[in-house]
Amino acid sequence: MSADSAESGGGHPTNVEAGVDTKTESGRWTVIEQTAVLARHEFRLSVRNAWAFALTGLFALFAVLLSLFSGARVGPSGFDAIVVSLASLATYLLPLAGLVFGYDTIVGADEDGHLDSLFALPVARSTVVFGKYVGRAFTLGAATVIGFGAAGVVLLLYVGLLDWPIFTGFVVMSVGLALTFLAVGVLISTLAEEKTHALGLVLLVWVSYVLVYDLIALGMIATFDLPPAVLSLLVLANPADVFRVFVLSGVDTTGGGFAAVYAGTGLSVPLLVVTLVLWNVVPVLLAARAVRRRSV
Amino acid sequence: MAIVRAEGVTKQYGDVTALDELTLSVEEGDTFGLLGTNGAGKTTLFKLLVGHIRPDAGRLEVDGMDVSTAGVRIRESVGYLPERGGFPGSLTGREVVRFHARMRGIRKTDRRDRIDDVLETVGLADASDRRVAGYSNGMNRRLGLATALLARPRILLLDEPTAGLDPRGVSSFHRIVRTLNEETDLTLVLSSHVLAEVEKLCDSVAIVHDGRLRATGTLSELNQRYGGGLLVTVRLDRPEETDAAVATAGEHGGRVDSATRGVVTVACRFDEAFTVLAALREEVDLVGFEVQEPGLERVFEEVIDDATATEGPA
Repeated sequence: MSADSAESGGGHPTNVEAGVDTKTESGRWTVIEQTAVLARHEFRLSVRNAWAFALTGLFALFAVLLSLFSGARVGPSGFDAIVVSLASLATYLLPLAGLVFGYDTIVGADEDGHLDSLFALPVARSTVVFGKYVGRAFTLGAATVIGFGAAGVVLLLYVGLLDWPIFTGFVVMSVGLALTFLAVGVLISTLAEEKTHALGLVLLVWVSYVLVYDLIALGMIATFDLPPAVLSLLVLANPADVFRVFVLSGVDTTGGGFAAVYAGTGLSVPLLVVTLVLWNVVPVLLAARAVRRRSV
Repeated sequence: MAIVRAEGVTKQYGDVTALDELTLSVEEGDTFGLLGTNGAGKTTLFKLLVGHIRPDAGRLEVDGMDVSTAGVRIRESVGYLPERGGFPGSLTGREVVRFHARMRGIRKTDRRDRIDDVLETVGLADASDRRVAGYSNGMNRRLGLATALLARPRILLLDEPTAGLDPRGVSSFHRIVRTLNEETDLTLVLSSHVLAEVEKLCDSVAIVHDGRLRATGTLSELNQRYGGGLLVTVRLDRPEETDAAVATAGEHGGRVDSATRGVVTVACRFDEAFTVLAALREEVDLVGFEVQEPGLERVFEEVIDDATATEGPA
């Protein structure tokens, strides 16, 4: 029998003896509270380890530079083009950041011995995964908002243009994209036995989804007469493309090329949003399941 | 009253049987040592005791809870110091303990006092505001012990607690364990393959080999059962009488453990010790003698040899 069944346990009786307050019969509140405590702990660690500042600085640097150069080039009429440029940047940068930030979440903690200490607590292993993911998601999300938000400020102050609904939608979906790949990174981290394996796998995922996927998809589109449903599936199967199509759906320019092909799929915004949410949730749920089998 | 009770506990990993119908009990308030070679099944037993894994067969109860159904509740009343436990180096010792206190749901009103208490107990009060990255291995282990003591557990499980520590770290850790043993009614279960450590700290011992319990009891009981009772060492006035001393001891039930020129050590049962000593005094001139229990090392060797002789090498 694996660790998962042992971990799940039975009910959680009220026990206020010795100051241990388990809140409710079901222990549900405790799980939420433990997740929050763990998330806060993880966030604090990322701030202490300078990850939070490094990510924010990186995003801000690239986004601001791109905005300044694009803004100067296209002039006040080209806000849409700037957003498309930022979306291209985000498509490359955010998945890589999410994956690299997530790859050591579990396997790194295991190698350092932190995981043993966490598992010594009266906490379900799945809660550890949720807490760690939420804490890192908060760091990455904040870095994305601040980093790309800085680009928005630059656009407003120096270029003199900003379409708030479009830009807000872009930033929110950027956060969604970053967190999706963070979730995938956490899943890989949970499955990998060594940190180096996890790093190799996340880089492979980045190359596959961000660089190779579109080339293969384009080859298929060019070679076969694919029905629109298959084209839609090709978009939905890659969170980077979901993000790209979402951004393109809100602007008048597509940036041309392959993006234009995807933009023509006609996928609705709610469907794209729901798909990206699923891309966030499913890997974390799988990781929460997989961690129960992890030998510590 | 037994606070840990295992009955026919079996655990397999694929084709490998980590624990094979293990039956043992640990009495409340005891300091219990779990001895075994690497791969004997000690860590598997600890994982079972804290609910990380479930037995494939048999029944295991900890503090009245069945580990198969209790889940994470087990770790509310059990303090566990895992062998490889570590903490983020960027946090201070106090921050680590505070995080563990929050995770355990210790109320805010009690938290500060509790944290101060455990840091004081493990001797880290003065170093509590230093970053863990600057802690020695021994301090790290003591920090782990502090987190394990937070919930004021009834049982404390220490998995190879002094592995990798320098002599000072070992001695400091032993001192804390002895204090806990003397000043609280905590039940301590300690796994180790350092015989001297178990001998020094534990009241009762279980020897596990190849997943099976080979011997259990107090140190005295094990000495009597496996250590050959007592070791009687005599120092002869005339070294040339060594052979005569060996022959005399043998005639009166003693088994010669070692005999160098002028010093003979004989293993014998408790009731034979006086007879052997008296006979030696009659036959040879003694300048001194010493009677001692043979110690855990001898017991351990005997038990493992027995197991290997019965079943062949693992």
